[in-house]
Amino acid sequence: MDDSGDAAAIASCLNGHPEAYEAIVTRYQRGLFNVALRMLGNYEDARDATQNAFVKAYEHLDSFDPEQRFFSWLFRILKNECLNVLRARRPSQPVSLELPTARGADPVEVRERQHAIQTALLSLPTEYREVVVLRHFTDLSYDEIAATLGIPATKVKSRLYTARQQLGELLMEWRVAR
Amino acid sequence: MTNINDPWRDDEVTTMLNDLPEVEPPPTLAQEVMSTIASRTPARGIHPPAISTKKGATMAKKVLWIVAASAAAALLVMRFAGYPPVERGTEATIGAAQRYQAPQISSADVKTQDTQLQAFLQSDLFRQLAADKAAQQALKNKDFQRALSDAAVRAALVSADVRSEIIASRVAENGVRQDAIRAQNELLRAALDASPALHVALASNDVVAALAASNALHVALASADAAIWLSNEAAINAVMSAAAVNQLDAAAVSAGAAAGGAAKDAATGAAR
Repeated sequence: MDDSGDAAAIASCLNGHPEAYEAIVTRYQRGLFNVALRMLGNYEDARDATQNAFVKAYEHLDSFDPEQRFFSWLFRILKNECLNVLRARRPSQPVSLELPTARGADPVEVRERQHAIQTALLSLPTEYREVVVLRHFTDLSYDEIAATLGIPATKVKSRLYTARQQLGELLMEWRVAR
Repeated sequence: MTNINDPWRDDEVTTMLNDLPEVEPPPTLAQEVMSTIASRTPARGIHPPAISTKKGATMAKKVLWIVAASAAAALLVMRFAGYPPVERGTEATIGAAQRYQAPQISSADVKTQDTQLQAFLQSDLFRQLAADKAAQQALKNKDFQRALSDAAVRAALVSADVRSEIIASRVAENGVRQDAIRAQNELLRAALDASPALHVALASNDVVAALAASNALHVALASADAAIWLSNEAAINAVMSAAAVNQLDAAAVSAGAAAGGAAKDAATGAAR
């Protein structure tokens, strides 16, 4: 389904057919859930945030500007949900990730690496983390990320560069500690 | 060879990020979103609440507040002014006095109401719950309330089989044997994994006894849309208030009947 498919489903919802929203949820749930998971580092929190984002988007569908990409609008709602979760989270609350590992790889080492990068990601300030997440866990281009975040594409690139530098520094600590 | 003190190269970080696997979203996510939307959409199906009722809802809320505030003020005046006056000759009738002092819906009870809650308060299910003591005992259990706020728990308890299995695993005074029910049903296992509150709730004899005895609870749990009200504090408070009013009314009726009987006996005795 392309963006015109979104438009048709949205129009249908606005005309009193809420069941048409299922196509939108089905289309975006994977991308949105993975964004939430990387932003929050916790499966349950990511599930709740994604679910709330979809429901809130539905409830405010009339305020969606069809000139925008639907994913961009959804992402902004999800980001607010994630920020709410992060604000409510106690600083000592542990992050629990149970992720699949690639076939053939040493699962212990792979998990250790994944945990290290995810932990480093969670240490980044939100404005850097969101750029990394959108770049690496969605198929958005720089321009689309810029439109989603409402910043120039040059700023997306500079934030991404700074974010990777910071991740590198955080991963140094992990490598030394190993 | 990389030295541990070498700085990380940009491409190394990129590779590590790209190696993070994409994770499958929860299989019930779309279903949960759609059932939440369905439970919040008016029955006539005209969607987005925000579109069709934005202004109306604001106005309705204002009206609701005004009515609630007026009702509370009127109740206070009645309470302190002794209005309406008790008719002469009925001063000793307990029923009349109790009726005027029975708890009423106050502004605190209506603060979170919306159109769906109003609909629930007027439903048969609400009346059944307000008349069902076993259901009320279960609803008083905070862990049961918390468990039912979880979509996975509601999804599991919709199944009559799951409810039967819980009841079948009951151990007197100790809720259920959780190791037994965990092994019985995938939905139930998922619900137990998702909700620590469900573990605690199922250890409560009140909750399990209600599941075994309360028809109203079964009716509510059989629908994920209806079950959501069992985790809604305003809805539960309303059920409890209505149950209290029912009990006072019943007490007033029986006290009135007893007083009437005694008066009749006294009159008969005097005549003799």
